Amino acid sequence: MEELLKKTEPVKLESAAELRKTMDGYFTRLREAAETRNRKVAWCTSVGPAELLYSMGFEVYFPENHGAMLGAAKNADKYIPSAVAHGYSPDICSYLTSDIGAFLQNETPLQKSGFKSVPAPDILVYNTNQCREVADWFGFYAKHFNVPILGIHTPLSIPELSPEIIKSVSEQYKNLIPGIEQVAGVKFDMDRFREAVGLSHDGCALWRQVLEKAKQIPSPINFFDSAIHMGPIVVMRGTTYAVDYYKILLAELDKRIKENISAVPGEKYRIYWDGMPLWYKLSSMAKLFAKLETCVVASTYCNSWVFDDLDPSDPFESSALAYCKLFIVRSDEVKETVLENLLGEFSADGIIFHESKTCARNSNNRYGLQNRLFKKTGISYLEINGDLNDPRCFSEEQSIIAIETFVEQLAGKSGK
Amino acid sequence: MMKYRLGIDLGSSYTKGVLVDEQNKIAGLHCVKSGYSFNNASSKIIEHFSASHEIQYPVYTCGYGREQISAPFVSNSELIALSKAVYEVYGRSCSIIDIGGQDTKFIKVNANGQVDKFKMNRKCAAGTGSFLEEIAFRLDITPEEFTAFAEQAKQEVKINSFCTVFAISEIIGMIKNGSTLPDIIIGIYNSIILRSMEMALVEDHLVITGGLPAKHPMIVSLFKKKYPDSDSPEHSQFLAAYGCVLLNRES
Repeated sequence: MEELLKKTEPVKLESAAELRKTMDGYFTRLREAAETRNRKVAWCTSVGPAELLYSMGFEVYFPENHGAMLGAAKNADKYIPSAVAHGYSPDICSYLTSDIGAFLQNETPLQKSGFKSVPAPDILVYNTNQCREVADWFGFYAKHFNVPILGIHTPLSIPELSPEIIKSVSEQYKNLIPGIEQVAGVKFDMDRFREAVGLSHDGCALWRQVLEKAKQIPSPINFFDSAIHMGPIVVMRGTTYAVDYYKILLAELDKRIKENISAVPGEKYRIYWDGMPLWYKLSSMAKLFAKLETCVVASTYCNSWVFDDLDPSDPFESSALAYCKLFIVRSDEVKETVLENLLGEFSADGIIFHESKTCARNSNNRYGLQNRLFKKTGISYLEINGDLNDPRCFSEEQSIIAIETFVEQLAGKSGK
Repeated sequence: MMKYRLGIDLGSSYTKGVLVDEQNKIAGLHCVKSGYSFNNASSKIIEHFSASHEIQYPVYTCGYGREQISAPFVSNSELIALSKAVYEVYGRSCSIIDIGGQDTKFIKVNANGQVDKFKMNRKCAAGTGSFLEEIAFRLDITPEEFTAFAEQAKQEVKINSFCTVFAISEIIGMIKNGSTLPDIIIGIYNSIILRSMEMALVEDHLVITGGLPAKHPMIVSLFKKKYPDSDSPEHSQFLAAYGCVLLNRES
């Protein structure tokens, strides 16, 4: 027990400085586009058709990324009430409510980077593969800015990826083009699209390699790093910037493995995290797990962000396949198999399900999956209640006790 | 002179101390309100026992205030400590339902005394000691009077609300509509039991522990009606504190 309470801190990644530069570059390009209007700005959902937009010359802004920034800045609870007063329920996506609330209060963390406000969109494009909320969320801004809004409607809870589904989504991709061309003022260029899809593929392949370094025991990277370092693959998918950054990160992880540097000093237990991060508690959670000599080695949140089915030789069909294959849009049977495989591949001792109050689609313990998975694998699980952005839904002390107890439970089981 | 070890469970409502002799047997129990200072509460426990016994430091702690104590201590997980003590008493696999001041816990202990699975109440504290205390306060009856009233119940009324405040509105509505206090109190007890039953499936011997069943023995009898294979050990409110000492007996 005394050993468990030894004070250990997670080891910071040196690539963090390069990450900051990469993200700063992205925001500078966005800010310049917004200020000078020399380039068009498209808003896109995080798993939307970013490659298509980048290939047509847009700077692409992602409100979900902004939502996470508001959460990480611990400001969401300041903004959510404004959205609620405007008729948005506090029970729906707190990315949406904190983002719209911040907009209504004319505040954004981007003001620290010289933005006057979030960059005004020329067009908004979404894909409902994440959730239906993104359409409502973008709808608010389409109305406010009086700009076109286009969307791809992906079927939900997909069991098998049938040719019909892929064809339908692929057609929807193609159907976006005339509307986007009108706003872009340029014609769609197949070669440029192939190039963006190819870069997106390469970025994803590198991101997968980054994540898979955590299969190493001890792991050189943990979930709390990955949740931050996934920024480029979310907002710069389809550009060279993401590819360049992940080469740097990958090299650092290889070096760590060679030098036997682990993300959590003295790693004893390995945990899989399902569900959203607690953005407002990311660093205190990282410290808590490090203190418990426990590395969160993999997560649904990061590990499902790999779209390496993208193929420049067949950009539409492969985009449809990659973005329908996404974990969140699959049936519970498929999710169960994915989780079972990941638990094994990453040698996880346990799995924590974070049930997010306002994100049903990212909470996978609501239909008995946790019990079924336990029966199949014998890997212990813990459920904690919280929320991605709204700290009012999270009882910290209770959750700390639960996590500490869970690690002790794993200790008792493994005898480590 | 014999030295005694001390386990202290610094809970959200009460701080419980257990004095343990060299044979690992309970030699004394003392309980005080946690109040605003866990350190004050634990000092009272230490002073109480120090008057007549020589205490060996560190003391072994668990609960919300487990690290807020100025005496030398080793802190423990409350659930693991409770499981340890229950296993010491029963020596076999069982399920524990522990109802405290603000927590309800379910713990599945396996045949080797290890925790297989556990669950804690999550979003709110309905169905815990605080829930009952608040209702008692609003109805202006002492928690002790609860049992006396419950014994006079003729039928049960059903309390539905998840929220303590709304549960009280519901109760006031029932009184207005002619329900009797004893029937309502049985309804309150049963709502607490239902709340804890939804935490997990109880498939073996059920051990009921914590401050709430200790103060309201009627809850234990009501549990027995639903689970004939259940009971509540002696001093169940003190078992987590006792378990803290047992966990460290090798050291």
